[in-house]
Parts: sequence; C-alpha cells; structure tokens
Amino acid sequence: MNSFITATGSYLPARVVSNEELAQKLGLTPEQIFKSSGIRQRHWAAPGEITSALGCAALRKAGVSTEDIDYLILGTMTSDRFIPGSAPAVQAALNLREVPCLDIRQACCNTLYGLQLANALVTSGLATNVAVCLAEVQSTFLTVSPQAGTTSMLFGDGAAALIVSSEGEVGALEIVDVHLATDGKYVDDLGIRAPGSQFNGRAEPQDYVPRMNGQSVILQASRRMLSACQTVLDRNSLSIDNVSWIVPHQANANLLTQLARGLKLKDVSRVVSVIENTGNTSSASMAIALDTLWRSGTLRPGDYVLMPGFAAGFTWGAALCRVW
Amino acid sequence: MSLPQPVIEFLNNNAATLGVPQVAVDLDLFKSGALDSFALVDFVTVLEEHCGIRVPDAEVVPANFRTIEDIDRYVSSRRLEL
Repeated sequence: MNSFITATGSYLPARVVSNEELAQKLGLTPEQIFKSSGIRQRHWAAPGEITSALGCAALRKAGVSTEDIDYLILGTMTSDRFIPGSAPAVQAALNLREVPCLDIRQACCNTLYGLQLANALVTSGLATNVAVCLAEVQSTFLTVSPQAGTTSMLFGDGAAALIVSSEGEVGALEIVDVHLATDGKYVDDLGIRAPGSQFNGRAEPQDYVPRMNGQSVILQASRRMLSACQTVLDRNSLSIDNVSWIVPHQANANLLTQLARGLKLKDVSRVVSVIENTGNTSSASMAIALDTLWRSGTLRPGDYVLMPGFAAGFTWGAALCRVW
Repeated sequence: MSLPQPVIEFLNNNAATLGVPQVAVDLDLFKSGALDSFALVDFVTVLEEHCGIRVPDAEVVPANFRTIEDIDRYVSSRRLEL
C-alpha cells in the first residue's frame, strides 16, 4: 500500500515584521540581517493568536472535509500549553471527530517526522486520512534585544498542513521514502532548556529562550542534510539529476545555497525558498515551502521532490516524494 | 607539511576573498576571518577530494581546522586510520 500527500495548506499571520522594524532593537542593521540570513521580513502572530489557531487556519486552507480526517499529528515547539499538547485544541476548534491526536516535538524536522508517521499509519491500515499540521508561534519566546540579536532575527510565525491519504489522484505526491537520523550529543547546541525536569527548580532566565551555537549548526546541518539526501537517492537508485525540486527546511538562505552547492545542482532555481518573506518558521517551514510549490502549478506527473531537514537534537533527514 | 597544493590554494583564495592577505601556517583561520563556517564545509570537501580521506560528520569541528598546522595534523591522523 502507498500513501499520498493529497492536499496542502498554509497560513501566515497578518502582521509583517520587516528587518527595518526589527534591526535597531537587535543591535543590527537591516542589511546585516539580510546578508547573514537572506531574510527580509517575517510574520509575527497578533497578541492572543496562539499556535493551535494558526494550525487550524492552515488546515482550513488545505480544504479537506474535517469529517474525513481520522488521525491528527501536530508538530510544534511552541505548544499552546505544556500539557496537553496543541493537537487536542485543533481537534476541538475544528470540530473533528474523536480521532487520535498526537503532538510531536522534533522541531525543524517535524514535517519529516510527521510524514514518516503518517506514511506508517496509512500504509499499515491504521488510518486513511492523516492530517499533519505544523504550527509555530515563536515570536513570544524571542528576546528582542542585542544580546539575542543573531538568533531573534531569524524566526517567524506560521503554519502549514499536509493531508496524507491512502488514495491519491493525479497530482498527488506519493511518499516514496523518508530517512531520519539523530545524534543526541549536540543537545545544547540548539534548543530551549526549560521547562524540563533536568532544570526544574534551578533554571536560569536564559534557559527559557532559544539557544543556538550557530557555527555547530551550520557545520552539522550542511553535512547531515547532504548525506541524508544522498542516502535517500541511493536507496531509490536515483541521482540528483532525477530530482525536479528540492524543498529544504528554510533555516537560512546561506544554508540553502550551501546545500545546492553540495548537491552540485546545475539549476539552483530547483531549490524552493520562501525564507526571504517568512523567516525561519521551524516546524512549519518545509511544509510552507511545499505548499508554495504545490500551489505554483509547476509540479508535473513523475516529478521527484526531495525534502531535506535538520533540527535540534541534532536530528536530520530527508523525504522523497513523486508526483502521481 | 603534507597538504596538497589545491588545499593550500583553496585556503589562500578564500582568505583573499575575505580580505585576509597572507595565511601563515600558525594563523588562526577563524579568528583572522580567513575561514567561516560555510567556507569550512566547502574546505572539508576539498580536503576529502585531494587528501584521499573521509572526514566523519562529527569531526567537522573548528578545533580540527583552526590553523594549517592543525589541518596537517588532522589529515595525517585520518590517513593513519585508513
């Protein structure tokens, strides 16, 4: 049995925060932000606009009947509340049936983990239409000051939804393969420490905000995403020349350029990039980019789409899909 | 010093692009601005191609590539493991 992405949707909050608005507060110039990240603007949620609300908006954009969804996976780092996760909130807000609802927290690899889980659920017969919802409201976690300038300049809010089904019509994306891997020794190079049992009672204020060792992230992400792409291509007897589109996690435009160079792409326009206008939306970024590609009308039957990602953990991987 | 000429040329060319005129064997490539994280990823690829070694992902850390002397030591250690 196969599984297919049969619908996509995405949502960005209305408020646009430009580099010009943000730069001075971060002790940077707009040009510094753009040069080091490729980002010109990001969307930030309005006060009271919470993660599950963004997820609901993206699911509505996917245009599927809520009655048809029989499993919900929600990927986020910024859940509405600590327990339960945000999937039950989406279930209630959209009036879904009383289906299983699962939060996953693999950060910027949530799209890949969501696709692998959805693929397994559908191909095993446990579910027929899985909604993979990716949503982040990161702006409320950011420290908008020069002390955190190079981190806070990167992140935006947004959401996307992918519907993974057992039957796909012409134009659907068959999930061909998903490869995932982890090396947990980099736990402190990217992430947020608290709240967590390791720090309860002794967490410092900085433990509640994102921490990032940029050098380690760049070095490992560049290598690991490349090797994940190669792993997926090798085990499906394909080369990069067989791939029509690369839809990476949108971490940093310079990282996308590095990836294109590493893959020896002859045509860099095959790398789908939305980061200039969205910033890094973490869990949602890859799926927002995929939704953008889906709606562009450029996908053709037989096209292979390769989706590499890298996240806190570190964890990384790549998905391979084919247009049906 | 056993590093092949294309490896040294990569470092010199990259440094010149970034405004660092001369790369001495004991120059801290990162502090001097001769090498940044993105360039290091490309540099490791050049090392692998021209030195006949494989650099494990977990060993792509600045400590192994801080100076030309460090790089030479690292390459020699990788060759011994082949």
